[in-house]
Parts: sequence; C-alpha cells; structure tokens
Amino acid sequence: MTHPTSALDDTIHQRVRLGILAVLSESRRADFGYLKEILEVTAGNLSQHLAILEEAGHVQIAKGIEDKRSRTWITVTRKGRAALAAEVATMKALLEGITTAQRA
Amino acid sequence: MIQTITAFVTMEVSSVNVDEARESLAFSEYARKRARDDMGRPWLALVLLASLSVVSLSLTDAAASPLGLFWVFAGPLGAGAIALYAYRRNRSSGIDSSPLAYVAITAGLLILAYTAGKVGFAFGVPAVARFGPAIVVAGGYFVLAWIERSWTVAAVSFALLAVTVAIIGFDLSPQQSKALLFGLYGITLLAVGFGMRVGRQQLP
Repeated sequence: MTHPTSALDDTIHQRVRLGILAVLSESRRADFGYLKEILEVTAGNLSQHLAILEEAGHVQIAKGIEDKRSRTWITVTRKGRAALAAEVATMKALLEGITTAQRA
Repeated sequence: MIQTITAFVTMEVSSVNVDEARESLAFSEYARKRARDDMGRPWLALVLLASLSVVSLSLTDAAASPLGLFWVFAGPLGAGAIALYAYRRNRSSGIDSSPLAYVAITAGLLILAYTAGKVGFAFGVPAVARFGPAIVVAGGYFVLAWIERSWTVAAVSFALLAVTVAIIGFDLSPQQSKALLFGLYGITLLAVGFGMRVGRQQLP
C-alpha cells in the first residue's frame, strides 16, 4: 500500500509551477512578461521554474523577435496538461479525505 | 510526554501542508480564471454581436429594408472590428488564445437559428419561423454564460428572451419591436465595451 501523497508530482507540486501550468492550459501560449506579472514573481524566479518544467517536458519555450522586441512564448505540452489535471485531482482528493477525517 | 510532542508536531506539519495545498489550489484557480478572463472578453463580444444581428434580421420585416440592411452590415462589420481588436490585444497583452472555440460556438448558434427558422417555414408555423431563431440563440447564450461564468452573457440571454416574449405576448407593432431590438443592441454594445474596458484595466 502506498501513501496517498506519493501520487503527487514533485515537479509541479509547487505554487508557482502549478500556476504556470494553470495559465498555459487555458491559453494557446503566454509570454514571459505576462506570466511574471500574473504570478507575481521575479524574472529570475520564473526562469528557474520554467527551466524545471521544460526539462520535465511539461512546457516548450520559444524565443523570437516580434515588432522589434524580443519575446519569449511558453506553451504547455500534452504531457504538461495531463500532469496538471492529475495533480489537481490528487490534491483535491487528498484535501477531501482530510476534511472528511477531521469531521469524523 | 515525547508521544504528546510527536503527535503535536505531526498535527502541526499536517495542518501546514493542508494549508499550503489549499493555497496552491486556490492560487492556480485564480491564475486560470484570470487568464481566461483576459482572453475571453473580445471573442465573447464577437459571438454576441454577430448572433444578435442575425436574430434581429429574422425579427425585422425584410433584409432589403433600410433596417434590414443595417443588421446585415452592422453585425459582420462590428464582429470583424472586434476580431481584429482581439487579435492585436492578445498579441500585445502576452496571452494568446485560439479563437476556434468561439468561431465554432458562433457558427453553431447561427446554424441552429437558421434551422429553427426553416423548420417554422416547413411546418407552416410563421411564429416559429420568426421567433425560433431568437429563442434558440437566447438558449445558446444561456449555456455560454454558464460555461464562461459570465453575468454579461446571462443578462443578454434574458434580455433577448424578454424582448422576444414581449414582441409575441403583447403583439407589439413593427416600430415597437424595432425600438426594443435597437435598445437591446445598444445595451449589448455598452456592456461589451464596459466589459472590455474593465478587462483592459486588469491587464498588465
């Protein structure tokens, strides 16, 4: 028998990384500046989180120049979408279990 | 004593983790909703104006009349302007959405509205031919409002239904019907403009 928390994914079981995947799963793509603003993190912090997600194959990062300014677009992969859905479902189930246990 | 301390520490850690998990879930939900809001408004506006114009056309006497011509041109022109605005806004705001879902919803609503009108004609029921499209589209808006969690769309759905019921129930004259439709169109334009303005202020 495994502990229920073992179903949690260490790569995305983190507030900012969960937020990044949540935003990206709603959109076709989001740029670095938007994610920084909406998640209220510094550029360095966001870069680190994105690097972890990219290495795990959850996001893809594309850099380019648009309207004479550099832009970094981030897209969620199919694997990232599935991982987010599984993580949210696991967390909700765990929280529900704890709430039920506390009531009993 | 040691057992008591261990139990206390375990409870504390568990409580902190639960709080963290709740906070993480709430934060991801906030981020998801915010992204959805930032992307959705212009496309939603496009759906509203395009389909409202078609419904208005079915409730107007003839497409060839000056008023009919207004609905024929105002809808597509307004929708085109909003589509261009939405495309530019998405690019500059930094979050890019696919318009496919909204295009599919608009096309679906228009096809259903057109079919409702044709069914009314086929079975010789003029009321269905005339008011069917409005009722179908109002129902479609209601579903869309629930999916988008949008009070604006829900209000338009109720208003369209109320206008249609008023035209049928009170047997309003063509002039009164036109005035109601123009009123609804104007209110929708204002609501859409206000909604997009609020959305713009929220954007970074």
